[in-house]
Amino acid sequence: MAEPSLRAFRPSAANPWDAAKAAHLLQRAGLGGPPEEVQRLLALGVEGAVDELLNYERLPDLSEAVDFSELRQAYADAFALRRSGGSEQARRDLQNRINRLQREKLQEVRLWWMARLVATPRPLQEKMVLFWHGLLVSGFPDVQNPEFLYIQNHLFRRRATGNFKQLILEVSRDPAMLTYLDNNSNRKGKPNENYARELLELFTLGVGHYTEQDIKEAARAFTGWTLRPTPTGEFEFFFNATQHDDGPKTFLGRRGTFDGADIIDIIFEQPAAARWLPRRLFEDLVYLQPEDHLVDELARIFRRENFEVRPLLRALLSSEVFYSSRARRSQVKSPVQLVVGTARALRIPPAAAPPLLLAADRMGQMLLVPPNVGGWPKGRSWITTATILERYNFGSLITEARMPGLPPRLLEAIRPVEVAGLVPSTARTAGEVIAALLDRLLPGAVIDQKRQFALWRALGANRAADPVEATPQRVRSVLHLLMSMPEYQLT
Amino acid sequence: MRQGMTRREFVKKGLTIVAMGATAPSFLARTALALNNPWDLAQVQSRPGVPDERILVVIQMGGGNDGLNTVIPFSDDAYYRARPTLAVPAKDVLRLTDTTGFHPSLAALRDLYDRGAVAVIQGVGYPNPSRSHFRSMEIWQTADPEGRVVRYGWIGRYFDSKCPVCEQPTVGVNVGPSLPLAMQASSGQGIALQTPQTFQWMPSLRGIGAQEEWDLFRLLNTPGPSASGEPDTIDFLRHTAMNAVLSSERVREAVGKYRGGVEYPNSRLGASLKLISQMIAGNLPTKVYYAHMTGFDTHAAQRGAHQALLRELADAVAAFLRDLEEQGNASRVLGLAFSEFGRRVAENGSGGTDHGTAAPLLLFSRGLKGGLYGQQPSLTDLADGDLKHAIDFRSVYATVLERWLGADPAAILGAPFERVPFM
Repeated sequence: MAEPSLRAFRPSAANPWDAAKAAHLLQRAGLGGPPEEVQRLLALGVEGAVDELLNYERLPDLSEAVDFSELRQAYADAFALRRSGGSEQARRDLQNRINRLQREKLQEVRLWWMARLVATPRPLQEKMVLFWHGLLVSGFPDVQNPEFLYIQNHLFRRRATGNFKQLILEVSRDPAMLTYLDNNSNRKGKPNENYARELLELFTLGVGHYTEQDIKEAARAFTGWTLRPTPTGEFEFFFNATQHDDGPKTFLGRRGTFDGADIIDIIFEQPAAARWLPRRLFEDLVYLQPEDHLVDELARIFRRENFEVRPLLRALLSSEVFYSSRARRSQVKSPVQLVVGTARALRIPPAAAPPLLLAADRMGQMLLVPPNVGGWPKGRSWITTATILERYNFGSLITEARMPGLPPRLLEAIRPVEVAGLVPSTARTAGEVIAALLDRLLPGAVIDQKRQFALWRALGANRAADPVEATPQRVRSVLHLLMSMPEYQLT
Repeated sequence: MRQGMTRREFVKKGLTIVAMGATAPSFLARTALALNNPWDLAQVQSRPGVPDERILVVIQMGGGNDGLNTVIPFSDDAYYRARPTLAVPAKDVLRLTDTTGFHPSLAALRDLYDRGAVAVIQGVGYPNPSRSHFRSMEIWQTADPEGRVVRYGWIGRYFDSKCPVCEQPTVGVNVGPSLPLAMQASSGQGIALQTPQTFQWMPSLRGIGAQEEWDLFRLLNTPGPSASGEPDTIDFLRHTAMNAVLSSERVREAVGKYRGGVEYPNSRLGASLKLISQMIAGNLPTKVYYAHMTGFDTHAAQRGAHQALLRELADAVAAFLRDLEEQGNASRVLGLAFSEFGRRVAENGSGGTDHGTAAPLLLFSRGLKGGLYGQQPSLTDLADGDLKHAIDFRSVYATVLERWLGADPAAILGAPFERVPFM
């Protein structure tokens, strides 16, 4: 095998730009899709296809929004009640109301995002929102106000492929992050280290590139970066000068009266900062544990481009290594990739978001409720005896609108998948029907004949050449088996 | 008493193996044989000197539990100086000795302590402590503070050391979707499950028939000669899928036998320990169960949150032990509750505490010597504001491995560690 390289992929007769590679691009850089979408990217050529995904501003975004007016009003009422005193009973009633609204609105935001993932015409942008949510983590229940998570989700969307350093600065002032890592109560004299530690360890540099003392000093620099309520029941970033420690600090070998923005400037002067995001992006898009020389080269690009993410993405998605056999069909799908990719490939409508969301929850990925500040697992860690059965039973949800562990009221939102159009009318034999379904759900996968036999059998045939009638029930039972295959867990 | 398989099961599963034919890989044949051959099981169980009836239940308190507010040095002024708003007043502490007591939320554990069923190991940690959640959790789970590359967990390495029933995937059971690093073994044994109801594969309702669909499912999931160029992840997925379906029936059958009437608190840990108790009652061939709590990362507004967490722990553990006593299993089960680190001695300005180091570790069982072990580290002789550990956590593991599980700790932990005399 050739040395993995970031050189631009140049198709050749031996190694053409083909449907398998176009599908690979659509699944990794986007959220997957039906064969027609793969064909569209194929026709654009590799450069054109990467451009098409990256320059998503040319397409209109979805416009649905979540309305928080009721919750804001409840917060505003709570401030008023606190000022005026009010009875114990009134305070308790209001608190119960706020708790209920928070739960309802959180679910609404989660559904809103799932529906977006299923329906977006800008899959690369939405894929990056998911990436940022997994890297710059905030979540419920530490963040109780769901509007904060909604605002953060929009920040990730606005800056999806923008400047990383700018994003770090903005996320340091973001209401959800200020709450999740407690910087909103980081005060002069008694600093709270939570944000400073994770900023260095998980967001920008990684363990080994700072000391415990650097964390303490950075925490002092972020004192006074907090939130304040507005009269309308919203919250905004507020620099509280009286709580800010403006004394001299020593951070990563530099000395000065630093504040949070200075700390971020110094972080981005470190060689480790140029390597951190490229490595994480490579692992998300290509494969785990990239070779050092690839990370070095990406770090050079990243620094040269002043920490802009889009050129980094372009380099990755156009590279030889991205289309190499080592990269293709080797990544374990995250639950959201699996659920959303299936919905997009089979044209499941976004109205099915409630059961889709819960299915992903059951597989171990609860959107906006990450397990901890480290974010989601990756690679094989997604797969256990528990989650593999949930993943396989997801096939029943798609084909029969049932799944163990999902309450019946959620199942009302989904119908057995519409099979008209999944198999071309020209497909007459078991082999042809199965080929069409594999092409849709497992593009580029190699399935040996012995195992394909299982799929022919589900159509009532024993050989590829046997003529079959692809009734909706038979096609659904094939889809269910196909989704109960190890191969379907990979992309 | 553990029961063997019924003849019906044996014939059914035995035939399954035959149907897989010569291509069935060795792990599967091994697993299936171990699952199906009651005589094999009897053989390993009668090995002399092996405490084969004993079970370990690990409770992971994720986030870094505030040890100082769990087991409280209430006679030490330094504690009150360091914790002006968070210290528990001496009058509220549940006293164990003249100097040390439990947080008031641990009332249920205090009862068990008085009855000799709780051991508190004080000042547990390791050299050069990491204050990163992820690094420190990895260290506790691999028992490898030196950062050698250890891919498997301390419990997984115990499975690999050929314990009784180690050939069975259900030798380790995690309650929850993931399999903790602690339980990962090179032999690939150990399962995760969320609820028994969802721990099963369902064939289509209107396919070609459930029986044949199961056969096709096996054909698609049986590990076998890989097609050329197939990533080895495929083999891992097939292995996991087959372990899942082989364990699924066993787990659901075991749980179905449970007739307990003990009421558990309505909490995540309560539900997890209840499920574990059901599996123990059903004689699942399991040596180690693993349950999770999260939320101990109390950087802000710690008082109420920590109070609730400790209550969840104590009440769930008390119900669990009551249940085990009713089953007659209380002296077969040892519980071990740990966290990746304790918290800073001095509170911060948010009514919380930042990441720290050494902390107490709790063990509970009818089969241990209850009491306080080790010493509370000094609150004034600190390293970077944090406690200096007195007992290495691997000493606790070594004691459990040797005296509870009958394994060789030096082989599993890579070095001999002093034992802690709680058993």
